[in-house]
Amino acid sequence: MPRSIWNGTIAFGLMTVPVKLHTATESKTVHFSEVHLDDGARIEHRRFCSKEDKEVEYKEVVKGYEVSDNTYVVLDKEEIAAAAGGRGKVIEVEHFVDAEDVDPVFYEKTYYMGAGKDGAEPYRLLHDALEATGRAGIGRFTFHDREHLVAVRAVDGVLFLHTLRFADELVAGSDIDVAEPSRGPGKREIEMAQRLIDTLHERFDPERYEDEYRQAVLDVIERKAKGEEIAVTEEPETDDSDDLMAVLEASLGGAKKGAR
Amino acid sequence: MARSLWTGSISFGLVNVPVALYSAVRDLDVHFRQLHGKDGAPIDTRRFCSEEDKEVPFEAVGHGYELDGEQVVLTDQDLGAAAPRKTRTIDIEGFVDVDDVDPIYFDHPYFLAPVGEAEGNLRAYQLLVEVMKSTDRAALGRFVMRTKEYLVLVRVRDDRLALTTMRFHDEVRPTKDVDTGGRKPAKKQLDAAKALVEALSADWDPSNHEDCYRERLLDVIERKRKGRKITVPEPERAAAGPPPDIMAALRESLERARSGQGFDVEDSEDGDSDELEDLSREELYERAQKADVPGRSSMSRDELVKALSE
Repeated sequence: MPRSIWNGTIAFGLMTVPVKLHTATESKTVHFSEVHLDDGARIEHRRFCSKEDKEVEYKEVVKGYEVSDNTYVVLDKEEIAAAAGGRGKVIEVEHFVDAEDVDPVFYEKTYYMGAGKDGAEPYRLLHDALEATGRAGIGRFTFHDREHLVAVRAVDGVLFLHTLRFADELVAGSDIDVAEPSRGPGKREIEMAQRLIDTLHERFDPERYEDEYRQAVLDVIERKAKGEEIAVTEEPETDDSDDLMAVLEASLGGAKKGAR
Repeated sequence: MARSLWTGSISFGLVNVPVALYSAVRDLDVHFRQLHGKDGAPIDTRRFCSEEDKEVPFEAVGHGYELDGEQVVLTDQDLGAAAPRKTRTIDIEGFVDVDDVDPIYFDHPYFLAPVGEAEGNLRAYQLLVEVMKSTDRAALGRFVMRTKEYLVLVRVRDDRLALTTMRFHDEVRPTKDVDTGGRKPAKKQLDAAKALVEALSADWDPSNHEDCYRERLLDVIERKRKGRKITVPEPERAAAGPPPDIMAALRESLERARSGQGFDVEDSEDGDSDELEDLSREELYERAQKADVPGRSSMSRDELVKALSE
């Protein structure tokens, strides 16, 4: 495995397990740089003082928090770090919960946890205990001067560390306005839709889904490089039909034909 | 209601429902602004052409990509041509069991709300909600938002269609090189560890966990505003090696968990004087008044700290 990004200890009760963290995910999105359309030259971001209208060097920049209109409290790096939390290099498990009870919306970012120095034996023990009980450890740890709520799970021989969102960060459904139809969907429509779901049911196999857009973008880049004109090709739109039942029936027919 | 981040339609079989996308996460992070240290004025970031040394308006910015050492420049329109349908439609390709999808794939949660008042659309949206509510299955689909394609999982949360963007399989690294430790633990040891996990278990209740970092950061800002000194606390607990006797540590932990004792490794009792160090002279003087410290009015800040900590 490439180098670890954090070394420390995971603690539960009086048990301590030396661990190291590795990055588990990476973005494969095609990245562009900002360029000037007129001459293709790189765009630079320059800092300007809004009062003096003069360019400012990075070392003259400070960080301020706006406490009221145009009034800022300036904090330096150490002062911001003072809020990080004093937990040091320890992931303290506060308690264990049923891993299945944690709704997917809470999961933020995942890291792989490996056994640290002299940690092989207790690492295996924690993993096997979590696997056997179906539980996840909930705790806190400080990473890059910021404290995170985390869940530790056992997944096929490896301990995963997930940072979690806090409950107050999540928007409730009631905050999203949804207009109600004057007449709800009928029983037959629901049954029909259920059959459609069953027909389209499959095992989740992540490898079946490639980022096709990534390839499409690379193709556009290549065509543009050859000097081709890039035009948007319009595709036929599906009908907006008010007869839900007819649409469902037609969908079901199509889905069955598509299935082996 | 916050503004929508994307509008288009969700397409399921031949059912097509116009929808708008809203983030299901609100940003509660404490944000700092870049300021000019000298005069405290906010910093503006301006785009400059590196060749002409002239400011460039946003409309004149394109997307550059280096292909075989040559710079290719694309406009927004060029990018829009890459997959026009996907930028407007969330195409549902199939339905999967939610439990089969490991959380490592989850990225950002959103809500979908129907757009417009058309009766047919509102009913079709309601139909999706009703049907998906009654199953443990979620719809798998994909769409393009802001020049990136997302694999998405659509299910129901709080009677709304909830969409979660996902990572593609090649964006999840293999685990084969992770050092996953030693041999299988002995049964006795595993039983003790399982018993400890159960003894330390509770129901998952997300409202029990607050973002202490956010609170502490706001507290630091408040203290700074009042002119107090900010000190960086020492780490509470240093990283440790494994316990010398794993079985003994498990037994002792289990005993303490069952009798409701804590696991504090050491208690530091001198927190009080640390706190005094952080106060301004004015605040120290107020405390000295309350404690009726003799000679307080002529004392310096340091003398007040000393007198109060005695």
